[in-house]
Amino acid sequence: MPEQAHVAARRSGVLRVPASERVPPGFVRLSQGDSAVALPQWPDGATPSLLEEYQLAPFPVERAGETRRMLAACLRVCWQDLSADPWPGVAVPAEQALSCYRALTGRTDDTTRSWSIGALRRLNETGWISLGVPADGNWSDLRPGRGRLDLAGAFVRLGPRCALWPADSHAQLRDVVRRIPPPAPTGETGVPLTGLREEGARDLEDLLGGYDERRRAELVAAFMAVEHAAEPVPEARFTALRDPALRRTLAEMLERRGRTLIQRRDTWISGYRDGLSGGDASDAGRLGEGERAVLTLVLVHSVAIPRADGLLGEDTWLSPYPVAVEELRRRTLLPIGELDAALRTLRQCGLLTQVKSAEETGGGYVPGPQFHRLTQAARARLQEELILAAGPHTPLAVAIRSRRSTRPLPTEPSAPGGTE
Amino acid sequence: MLEETLDAALTDEAVLVTYRRMFAALARDSGAVVDDPALVDIAETLFAAFAAAGEEWLTHEQMRHACRAYPADLFENRLRVLRGLGAVREVFPKPNQLRYRASFTSVVGLMFIRRMMDDGGQSEMHRLLALEDLNAADPRTTMEQARQSAQNLARAFRLWALELITLTTGTIEELREQAPKLWGTAEITRRAQSLHGTILGRWPALDRTCTELRTAIHAYSDASRRAAGRLADSAGTTRNLTLLPAETWRTFAQTATRERLAAVLDGFAFDAAAPWHDPAAIAQAVDEAPRPTPVRPAPPRSPLPDAGPASRYDPVQADLDRLIAVAERALAGRAEAPLGELLVNDWPAIRRLLADLTSADLRPELPYRLRWSDTLTARPQGHPSWLSHGTLERRSPDA
Repeated sequence: MPEQAHVAARRSGVLRVPASERVPPGFVRLSQGDSAVALPQWPDGATPSLLEEYQLAPFPVERAGETRRMLAACLRVCWQDLSADPWPGVAVPAEQALSCYRALTGRTDDTTRSWSIGALRRLNETGWISLGVPADGNWSDLRPGRGRLDLAGAFVRLGPRCALWPADSHAQLRDVVRRIPPPAPTGETGVPLTGLREEGARDLEDLLGGYDERRRAELVAAFMAVEHAAEPVPEARFTALRDPALRRTLAEMLERRGRTLIQRRDTWISGYRDGLSGGDASDAGRLGEGERAVLTLVLVHSVAIPRADGLLGEDTWLSPYPVAVEELRRRTLLPIGELDAALRTLRQCGLLTQVKSAEETGGGYVPGPQFHRLTQAARARLQEELILAAGPHTPLAVAIRSRRSTRPLPTEPSAPGGTE
Repeated sequence: MLEETLDAALTDEAVLVTYRRMFAALARDSGAVVDDPALVDIAETLFAAFAAAGEEWLTHEQMRHACRAYPADLFENRLRVLRGLGAVREVFPKPNQLRYRASFTSVVGLMFIRRMMDDGGQSEMHRLLALEDLNAADPRTTMEQARQSAQNLARAFRLWALELITLTTGTIEELREQAPKLWGTAEITRRAQSLHGTILGRWPALDRTCTELRTAIHAYSDASRRAAGRLADSAGTTRNLTLLPAETWRTFAQTATRERLAAVLDGFAFDAAAPWHDPAAIAQAVDEAPRPTPVRPAPPRSPLPDAGPASRYDPVQADLDRLIAVAERALAGRAEAPLGELLVNDWPAIRRLLADLTSADLRPELPYRLRWSDTLTARPQGHPSWLSHGTLERRSPDA
């Protein structure tokens, strides 16, 4: 089912698909050799940059400046034929990208090096670049464990997301590349790559086709906004959210992607439709056990305990009470190394937000903006799961279990546009 | 003096409610139960002092000393009540007895009260059931005792169930607040059923009493489930978290294994990190890159060999010769020459000559001097338009 594929793509970032089959509708497939990944199409050539026009905060990027400079450095070394598209470009030794980054920032100290490696890893994890080793026309990905990224012998190439830059923005990228000083010649040459970009069937066209140009643009804008904004979007800013008829179409568009609209007062955001899990095959993109464990701990400390103490007023999973990293480090059964790696991943996904405080000891973590994207059913289920785990023998847990046995988990998608 | 806050007052009130309920069966009138939790603390302090005192027991003064933290009138009042009830007694029952001893029963009673306070009687019910279970299995227990025990338990369960049912039909806030103290955990139900099984197995004749007990247990677990069910249905998406005490949450966070913690989020879908890097944002980041600090170029060096600093100043003879030639040409063999006569050409020529003559004047080793007077000639049409009067003279070497 296409919506299952979309759910899986959103959960794992990029969706691995067979190169031999037809491109799933609503996807762009990028194949290199035997391997192919798919990314969701955006309607009418829109990109998440559209959020900026509406002054909405996009998905937060960790250390945005560094990460983007590193991406620019990678572009500089991998995009050698500026008359062609940036993707697929050539694969070059990762050290070249690092040396180009050094030339760009003029810093050669160890701190800068570890920052730049951190930026490389973030880009690698989010599909903007790919670190690996080319061998006989194939590419084997570098699979970084929890420890440091070992770049010895590794190559870098542009990732599938680089194929999503619209063609009219390439001029700007060329300009950026020309401004960056060339890397010091090393004698090593890049490995030229071939790649095939294929557009799948447009899955939203029949819904958008009936509207005039202005409404169509409004629908697309609202679609991009609810899908990519960090926080719920105020309906006053988008006609397609205010107008019930347009909102209905918007809900149908989202439904095809396995999504649903979630309302909270006069703001809207999208979330996974209840009952769609994205299939088990896509477990690659799922949070690891350590990450889920850390997230549960933050929910207990930041939401459940303040709630039990009567401190939280609103019925949400967001909380102003941070849990200190020390608390997680000292008073849990989790190993410290695993804890830090998990916190980093969860922060990057927007599942946790780091709260900094003026004092040395203050600050910590609270649930992140992704918790805006849980449907009411999912939030209620989260509450139940926590109660079942922490107090399995309480009458409440018994009541939850008996209710589940008589009324199985909700699998019906909630009504689109349903209010809370 | 204790700080009086609303919270403290509420807590105190909750404590008193339990005391009143527990001893309602014994109280002579409603005023007979303490109306200040501190009074119980006094009793506890006293018993602790008695326990520490040993066989000597305590005198009135020693008791007062142990309770010195409390006001004298409160202490006296308390002691009078405790003596009246027999919790504190004279060591020998005779007038003017100075030494007092404490009653074991009262101490046990107090321990029981404190435990009841902590969890509303749930753990007490656990203990009671465990004890009754042991009793029922004890060969010395008679059928009559077992019947009594079963009847008492049935009554307790029925009353518990009734209270819960009343709460379940009341307001949701009251239910949320009271239910966790009243409802039975699965463990209590299991123990009660096991006790029921023991009694029925040993005395089949108690069939009727046991049916009553079984009905009461079922009514109770049903009421617990209904109360929990109503809360589960009406609790929004996080409000039920209040129903587990904060301590339970902390224990869970501290003792749960990674697998158990992770299992909570099984089956939840979250987004992978998918940040968007817009070309404009990349260009901006490159523009904002910390600029490499430019390497400062070294000042240009002369290509000629340099002998290093000289220890003595030797004027260049060629320069001096030139100045002498200029001055002699100006003097034209005279000892002195007025400047007005010399400075006649265009301004650049005048300037050059003046500069050379001034240089000659400033060289102590040359004999030429410039002497300036205070007068000047104005020449509105001329160039320069005014001229200071001065004289160039050659001095004799000895002057």
